[in-house]
Amino acid sequence: MPWEVIIFYLIAGVAILSAGGVVAARNPVHSAVLLMVCFIQIAAVFVMLGAEFLAVIQIIVYTGAILVLLLFVLMLVDPEDLPEFHTGRPVQRAIGALLGLILLLEVAAAVVTRTITGRQGSATLENIEAVGGNTEALGRQIYTEHLLAFEIVSMVLTIGILGAIVLAMPERLGVSGYRRRDTISLGHPRGTDLALPATAGAPIRATAGSKPEPAGIGRTLVMAGDPDEQPVVGGGRR
Amino acid sequence: MNDQPLWLTFIFAFLIMNVLLIGMAYMTYFERKMLGAMQDRMGPTRTGPKGLLQPIADGIKLLGKEDLIPRAADKWVFFFAPLIVFVTAIVGAAVIPFGGTINAFGRDLNLYITDLNVGALFVLAFSSIGVYGIILGAWASSNRYSLLGGLRAAAQVVSYEIILGLSLVGVFMLAGSLSLRDIMLEQQTNLELGPLTVKNWFILSQPLAFILFMIAAVAETNRAPFDLPEAESELVSGFHTEYSAFRFSFYFLGEYISMIVVSLFAATLFLGGPSGPGSSDHWYLGILYILIKAIVFLFFYIWLRATLPRFRYDQLMGLAWKVLLPLVILNIVVTAAIRLASDGLLF
Repeated sequence: MPWEVIIFYLIAGVAILSAGGVVAARNPVHSAVLLMVCFIQIAAVFVMLGAEFLAVIQIIVYTGAILVLLLFVLMLVDPEDLPEFHTGRPVQRAIGALLGLILLLEVAAAVVTRTITGRQGSATLENIEAVGGNTEALGRQIYTEHLLAFEIVSMVLTIGILGAIVLAMPERLGVSGYRRRDTISLGHPRGTDLALPATAGAPIRATAGSKPEPAGIGRTLVMAGDPDEQPVVGGGRR
Repeated sequence: MNDQPLWLTFIFAFLIMNVLLIGMAYMTYFERKMLGAMQDRMGPTRTGPKGLLQPIADGIKLLGKEDLIPRAADKWVFFFAPLIVFVTAIVGAAVIPFGGTINAFGRDLNLYITDLNVGALFVLAFSSIGVYGIILGAWASSNRYSLLGGLRAAAQVVSYEIILGLSLVGVFMLAGSLSLRDIMLEQQTNLELGPLTVKNWFILSQPLAFILFMIAAVAETNRAPFDLPEAESELVSGFHTEYSAFRFSFYFLGEYISMIVVSLFAATLFLGGPSGPGSSDHWYLGILYILIKAIVFLFFYIWLRATLPRFRYDQLMGLAWKVLLPLVILNIVVTAAIRLASDGLLF
């Protein structure tokens, strides 16, 4: 038993340190990496509690899918374009602190009213063992008692997918081709930007004057790790 | 479940890890010999008898090379990204069963490291963390080719992971468990196929899932014809362009070990793992069978590499989302319907 306690404190300590690091790190990619560490530690806590299924789903969904996509975006953003997180903005910081405090109180309230003083639910160790384990118990609960909520959640997710399709749908060429010049075309329906209208082949600035300018068009595409962005020997960052 | 003492498990894990490392070294030899044979040339012959010491010479060469770090690299991320690939590749082997429980040296020994009740998902979870090694290494190198390779890898792995996971749902439904040991035991029962009585290997009842799993597994391990992240004709060598010496070899180790683990995984899920003639009486035959099955899959990987040209990027994503995803969902629906009908619950 003491071994389990020591391992738990090790995991919890790393989780809290990395969560602090997410907030403190100056580079957003470092924040994402620390968040990954934090997620994996939480999965480890789930394993220690005997909820293997939840742990694996935590890793597959949050660490393996959502955070990868987040990292995907962060890698393409020049850190110097991001708003400064660590100085100024007193209103945002106050709101953030307030929301964090409210969340903490909510968790505390849940612990007090359910775990400490509330009556015991049906998910006791004996009941779970009778069904055949945590995974089976979770499956039975979701597909019988909470079926309606489950179906509503899947509807909401479907709406989210439809929204993504509508946003990413190729618009009528002319506007889209013009805008797409400045994006990295991954999985573009045609693979290349060859089928653009004739105007799009011209230098962008020349055509940009007559049309309403999309945000950021005047700026050249700077990818992370652009050679121009590197520190010069003997000098600081540009 | 796991009633053996922890130190025995540690010894077994240590053995498996070393077997994987040696297996990886000789996988490169096997690959070069096979590629040589398919392209009508000799492959490695100079180091040792029939070139058998070539992998060891390669390892020593990589150890002795200069370790270059680009000046603009993000040092910490650059340091540990290759380790993520290596560690996550090797951890997957922890849930592969090489047999049941045997009685040897006066003890009951389990021929697996651990029997997690979500074993199959465990392998998928760690392969999904593995992609971090690639995209973080790519980003930290401060190189455009690397970054593009990393972006491709991320999109590719996230897409094909869905196919990989969903192709296993049919197997889970038939076995009624996510534990690889239960899946292995389920395949040792007999199946009546007309006049024939065969072992209930899931390749017989889930042929479509098997094909989809193999396609997704090749893409997941970034191998030809899906090796877009390191397409040398357009991206120098993709995400590991800036890596040299031993850091590069961690990527290399990770790629080959994940191929071996995926092959063992496929053998366990679809080909009955250690099942075969005489394997219920002699446990060592079981281990031999699962290794032979894995080598067949590894040969398949090499065969693909020697045969097929590389996909174009939009073809790759289109294949995943427009062809494989509908097929894999169809497989789940049909399997579920047949399962319900056989229990008399449908109509």
